[in-house]
Amino acid sequence: MADRLNSLRLLLVDDEAAFRAVLVKRMRRQGIDPFQAADGAGGLRILSRQPVDVVVLDVRMPGMDGIDTLREIKRRHPHTEVILLTGHANTREGLEGIQAGAFDYLSKPVDIDHLWEKIKQAFEKKAVLEALRQDSQYRLHMAQQMAASERLAALGTLAAGVAHEINNPLAIINEAAGYLGTLLQKPELEDVPYREGMVNAVGKIATGVARARTITHQLLGGVRPDSPGLARVRPDELVDETLALVRAEAEDKGIAVARQSPPMAAVWIEADRLRQVLINLLVNAIHATQRGGRIVVGIEAGDGRLRFSVADSGKGIPGENLERIFEPFFSDQPPGEGTGLGLFVTRQIVDRMGGTITVRSQVGRGTTMTVAVPHRCGDPGAARGPGAPVCGQEARP
Amino acid sequence: MSALPIRILLVDDERDFVEMLSLRLAERGEHVMTAFSGRECLEILSREAVDVVILDIRMPGMDGIETLRRIKQAHPRVEVILLTGHGTTQTAMEGVRLGALDYFLKPADFEDLTARLERLRRTADA
Ligand SMILES: Nc1ncnc2c1ncn2[C@@H]1O[C@H](COP(=O)(O)OP(=O)(O)O)[C@@H](O)[C@H]1O
Ligand SMILES: [Mg+2]
Repeated sequence: MADRLNSLRLLLVDDEAAFRAVLVKRMRRQGIDPFQAADGAGGLRILSRQPVDVVVLDVRMPGMDGIDTLREIKRRHPHTEVILLTGHANTREGLEGIQAGAFDYLSKPVDIDHLWEKIKQAFEKKAVLEALRQDSQYRLHMAQQMAASERLAALGTLAAGVAHEINNPLAIINEAAGYLGTLLQKPELEDVPYREGMVNAVGKIATGVARARTITHQLLGGVRPDSPGLARVRPDELVDETLALVRAEAEDKGIAVARQSPPMAAVWIEADRLRQVLINLLVNAIHATQRGGRIVVGIEAGDGRLRFSVADSGKGIPGENLERIFEPFFSDQPPGEGTGLGLFVTRQIVDRMGGTITVRSQVGRGTTMTVAVPHRCGDPGAARGPGAPVCGQEARP
Repeated sequence: MSALPIRILLVDDERDFVEMLSLRLAERGEHVMTAFSGRECLEILSREAVDVVILDIRMPGMDGIETLRRIKQAHPRVEVILLTGHGTTQTAMEGVRLGALDYFLKPADFEDLTARLERLRRTADA
C-alpha cells in the first residue's frame, strides 16, 4: 500500500492559499506532491492536462461554484474521485455533493489526519474500481477470442468433411488421367493425330489434381492427429531437426536460418504436432523474406510452457490482415502456390495442444509468430545432483 | 516386366475408381481382381489366390477395418494396403495394428503405390 500511495496524484482546489500550504506541507511528508488550483476553472484546466486520482475540492470559492465544478469534473473524468470540503456544519452542501458523485465530504475546519484518511480511502476505491473494470474488459476480450476460435473449429470440422468427400472423386480423376497418360505412351498410339495435345492436356489434369490434393490433405492435417503423441525430446534438438528440413529451401533463396537458445533439457511434449506447426511457420517465413534476410527460431521456458518463436526479417503483415491470416483460404500467394490453409491448420493444431499462437509484425521489418505450448518435466526420477538440468531450463554442461 | 505379376484384389465401393486404378495396374502387368464390398472381397479370397488386397476403409455394409480383421483371421498371409479418402491417423494406426502393411490417403500418388508393390514383390521373391 505504502509504495502505491507514492503514485497518488492529488489535486487541491481551494481559494485559501494558507489552507493549501498546510495541506501541501503535510502531503509532501507522505511523499506526495499535490497539484494546486485556486478556483474551479483552474482545477479543470489541470485535470484536462494530466490524469488525477483524487481531488480535494472546496465548495465555497469565488467564480465557479464548488458543486458545479464537481459535476463538471465527474462528467469529464468519471474515474476521478472527489472529496468535498463544505462550510461548517453544512450537511445540505455535503448531501448535494454526494448526489453529484462526490466520494465524501468533510466540513471545515478540517482535521488534516481525517482528510488524509479520506484521501487514502478515495484512492483505494478508485484502484479497486479500476481493477474491476480491467477484469471485465479482460473477460469480454477472452469471450470474444473464444467465440472466434470456436467458429474456426466448426469451420475446420466442416472443411475436413468436405475434403473427405472430395478425395474420392479426385482419386477417380487422378487414376483416369493416369490411365490416359499410360495409353498415350503406347507404341500403337505413337502416330495418332493430336497426340502431343492430348499428352499436354493429361499433364494439366494431373497438375490440377495435385493442387486440389494439397488442399484436401492439408485440411485433413488439421484434424488428423486424434491422440496426443507425447514424446520426451529436447526442445532445442526438435527445433534443429525441423530447421534441417527447411534449410535447403531457405539457403536457395539466400536466407539464413538459425536457432537461438541455450541447450535445453528433455521435456514431455507433443513432438509430431509441434514439428508440423514449426514447419508451417517456417515455410511462411521463408516465403515472406527476401534474399539476404534472416529467420531465427527462439525457445523460452517458463510457467510450465514452452514458447517457440519464429522471427523473420521479411515483408511483415499489414495490421488489417493480422486476424485474417488465420482464416481458411486467406493467402497473398498466387493461385497454385499458397493454399491459405497453413495458419488455419496450425491454429487448430495449437488449440488442440492446449497452446496459444500469437503474432507480432511490422510492415517492412518482419514478423514474429510465437507458439506457447504446455509441457511436462522430464523423468521425475532423473538425477537431481549439481549439473542436472532443471525442467524446461537449459542443461548446464 | 520380367518379374512375376502380383495378384492384386482391389476393393472399393467407388466403382469408377476401381475401374480406372485396375486398368492402370493391369497396364503395368499386374494381375488385378476387383470387388465392390467387404463381403465380395472375402468371397473372392475364399476361392482365389491373392497376394495383396488394396482396401478402402469406408464402405457401406462391412467397413474396411472389419474386412481387414476377417482377412487377417482367414488368410493371414495375404497382405493388405489401406487406401481411403477418409483418413485419420487413428484409423490408420488401428489398421496397421490389425496387420495392414501400409496406408495411403486418396488421391494417392501412383508412384508411391507402385513403389510399395515393388517392395512387396521383392520380399515375396526372397
Ligand atoms: N511470416 C509471415 N510474414 C508475412 N506474411 C505472412 C507470414 N506468415 C503468414 N503470412 C500471411 O498469411 C497468409 C496465410 O498464411 P497461410 O495460412 O500459411 O497460407 P499460405 O502460406 O498458403 O498463403 C500468407 O499468404 C501471408 O499473407
Ligand atoms: Mg503457409
